[in-house]
Amino acid sequence: MTGGYTGKIIRVNLTTKEVGTIDTAKYEEFGGGYGMGTAIFWDLAVSPGEWDMKDAYDPRNVLPIMVGPLAATGVPGAGRTSVCSLSPETFPTCEFWRGNLGGRFGTMMKLAGWDGVVVEGKADKPVWINIINDQVKIEDAKELWGLDTWETQNRITSMVGGKTRYGEEWYEIGSGSTTARPEILLIGPIGETKSRLAALITGSGVSARIGGHAAVFGSKNLKAISVIGTNSIQVSDPKGILEARLHQMQSPGSFPTQPGAASCMPCLKGDRRRSNYYGGETMCACQGWLSSHKMSDSDRAAEALIKYGLSSWSAHFHVDMFSQNIPGAPALFRGKVPTDSGLGWYLQYLKQEGLLGPGKEIDSDPLPMDQWGELSFRQALLDAVANRTGIGDALAEGCCRAAEKWGRLEKDRDSGALRLTAWGATAHWTMPWVEWAYAYILGAGDPAWHGFMAPVGKPSEGTLEQSLEKLSKRTIPYTDDIFMFNYAWKGEEAWKTGIYSPHKAKQVAWSRHYSSFWNESMAFCEMFLPELGSHSPEMETMYYKAVTGKDDSFAGTMRIGQKIWTLERAIRVMHGRSRQTEDFFPYMYMPGASGFAIYGGVPVYEKGKWRSDLAPDMYLDRKGVDDFKTHFYALEGWDKEHGWPTRKTLEDLGLGRMVKTLRDSGKLGAA
Amino acid sequence: MTKSKKVEGKKESVSRRDFLKTGSTVIAAGALGVYASGSTSTALANPDPVEAPSYAPSTGYIVWDSRLCLGCQSCMYACSLTHEGVANPSLSRIQIIRDAPSFTKYPYDITMSVCRQCVTPICVQNCPTGACYVDTENGNVRRIDPNECIGCGTCIESCPQRPHRTVWNPEKDISMKCDLCVDAPYWGREGGPNGYQACVEICPAKALKLVHEPPLQTDVTGYDVDLAPPPPPPRNFMNFFQQNSDDSKKKGE
Repeated sequence: MTGGYTGKIIRVNLTTKEVGTIDTAKYEEFGGGYGMGTAIFWDLAVSPGEWDMKDAYDPRNVLPIMVGPLAATGVPGAGRTSVCSLSPETFPTCEFWRGNLGGRFGTMMKLAGWDGVVVEGKADKPVWINIINDQVKIEDAKELWGLDTWETQNRITSMVGGKTRYGEEWYEIGSGSTTARPEILLIGPIGETKSRLAALITGSGVSARIGGHAAVFGSKNLKAISVIGTNSIQVSDPKGILEARLHQMQSPGSFPTQPGAASCMPCLKGDRRRSNYYGGETMCACQGWLSSHKMSDSDRAAEALIKYGLSSWSAHFHVDMFSQNIPGAPALFRGKVPTDSGLGWYLQYLKQEGLLGPGKEIDSDPLPMDQWGELSFRQALLDAVANRTGIGDALAEGCCRAAEKWGRLEKDRDSGALRLTAWGATAHWTMPWVEWAYAYILGAGDPAWHGFMAPVGKPSEGTLEQSLEKLSKRTIPYTDDIFMFNYAWKGEEAWKTGIYSPHKAKQVAWSRHYSSFWNESMAFCEMFLPELGSHSPEMETMYYKAVTGKDDSFAGTMRIGQKIWTLERAIRVMHGRSRQTEDFFPYMYMPGASGFAIYGGVPVYEKGKWRSDLAPDMYLDRKGVDDFKTHFYALEGWDKEHGWPTRKTLEDLGLGRMVKTLRDSGKLGAA
Repeated sequence: MTKSKKVEGKKESVSRRDFLKTGSTVIAAGALGVYASGSTSTALANPDPVEAPSYAPSTGYIVWDSRLCLGCQSCMYACSLTHEGVANPSLSRIQIIRDAPSFTKYPYDITMSVCRQCVTPICVQNCPTGACYVDTENGNVRRIDPNECIGCGTCIESCPQRPHRTVWNPEKDISMKCDLCVDAPYWGREGGPNGYQACVEICPAKALKLVHEPPLQTDVTGYDVDLAPPPPPPRNFMNFFQQNSDDSKKKGE
């Protein structure tokens, strides 16, 4: 294989206790990371046709945990670990979905000599997987089950070989030696009890919350995967990697140098914190915001979240910080619209409506409601969810399933109180950046992709039109169409060149193809690349070529991205996805759908002129969204009626082997 | 590889086999824990009560600011890429050790382990073959000649720092140490005390710096120094969004 790959993937069956390997070369056409994971999921979970893919907790659910070829090569920001499986988080159905996390687990996986690990089956008792270079063992986790994520990591570190005190000595692993600790991907008590909100944790403050894949760990009785390695990664052009880094670092003021910043391995950005909470590292700079109105409590609450194994994005309580007065917003918003609204927002709504409390319609037991807003309340909430006590049992199932249990689903969904953009997933930005919103329905929840937010913002110099023209040169292969960036949402222009037009379909497709290849498969942190205002797309291909030696053009890599995106689509089609099932929650069609905009808002073209607009009154039109789907399906080569990939599309993308499975299931798109 | 003329530290050739056969006459100075320069450690490292040899000091030293370090380990990748042509932190001559998941509090959560180019280089002093030497043609940098290293590990045993700064290369069965990029075949720049070091240049936090005067040798304070830039205006990620929120509200009204 080319540089960057180790050439083999671990395959662990927890039911049979078998440990085998998969040849990475078999999946090289999918790039790495999520691309490979998606293809492996197809081969092991979909193609055999033995599973209906309804229940994420079925032992037949396959969990590829994958790393990309650029990880552990010195390329910054590319060490993320991708996780995919049938997601327990999505509502009303379990959808195929992915999440990823940074830190050092992915890079260590590579240094141990592996491009990933694929977990199948279900252990009959709690286990953890111990990877030390080429040695892979399934270990008993009886003593670890029930422990928080920090204590578990400390115990495993001691067991694996941390015989000397931190920082004092090298220790030997086989013929190699290292000063590093093992890197551990694991679940906390909330994952053990299969909360659909559970996040995978690594290190002291890094989490993958999207998709609830930690609950899949729990369902498989898998507490943790530990890995440590001392191998070398071969790269095509070591000098080229360093030259690319130095080139990127020439941007003035790009990178922070103040004491206390931190990075993933081996990134440039420093957008973490070496905080005294979270055990010395945060998930990202955002996490400190999220749990309480007092910063000190907030840090401590976030630390508790990580220890329990829950990402704070899922339990967002900071309603006031990200809210805006929206003219015409429904009364239930009380004049405030939160940008990110998950469990915390919904609980707050129920409380202020007088529905939640001791002995009320929704009994809050065992939550100390008189301590609302305090750290003690947050901790009690986590404990209730982890142990599924009282209201915690319903909340562990996520907002929609909890509302369903309380008989409030239809009412709260239709009123907009359940402010979850699509598939029951925590809302995160979306409007007015509609490409983000569309990705929610076309995928299976939060794409967590900020790529266009700053580039379409109000330019600091030159006109908006000039800025968009420059941008449109970078969005290969959909170049020279600045109406891709038109966010007109009202009147004729919305359909002609705005958010319901074929132009917008191109922007959404670009973001999905880019994300599929560069962020999910080459594993570049999406906070790192793309940089559509400066380095992209040159930077991506510089790094890619230096590591792999491949001469793929940027357009070629985008084609691989489309291939991965289409394969992902095929998996969803196999478990029931169609045009009719992918839709927004009702609030997206109501005033108040949009939150506040940063970067000066979004570009709007109306009456022959461009302007930047904060668009606080943006909301969607049902027919417009339906028309958008038609344009998008046509662009992707999916059939108009169902949104199913056609034979020609699959074959053109090199996915011909998926045709038979889809056809036999009656789900091949009509030509 | 460019081989420099060696003046100091040169000894008669000894093979690994000869060395192992006759046994080491060197006492590991590692038991000292913290390096104290001068006669104490030298005397312990040399069983014979002879005066310690003196060496011309290096004209280059890498100092660091452990508060600034991002823990990204970019320097480790830069080191192994430039010297060995592969990516492998275990082959890096600089080690950045993060204490997650042991959760030591900032600023003690990161240990920066950088070769000190000691004024009294015990690794040079104790090397039985002269493979570890003072390179007088390159600013007196303390180096290991990979062609003459017999892999006895004496320099590793001798290094008084914890973790030891001399690094074992299991792929070549030799020891390695920081050479300030004098011999870094995959580094596209001139290295050495008057040139550029990959770790220093690659560090995004500017937490490493080359200096030319010997730092204080008695403890770590000579090397772990304040390299922080002046603090920026009080504007962080959090109040950036808050500010935008406030602006949005004003403009939206």
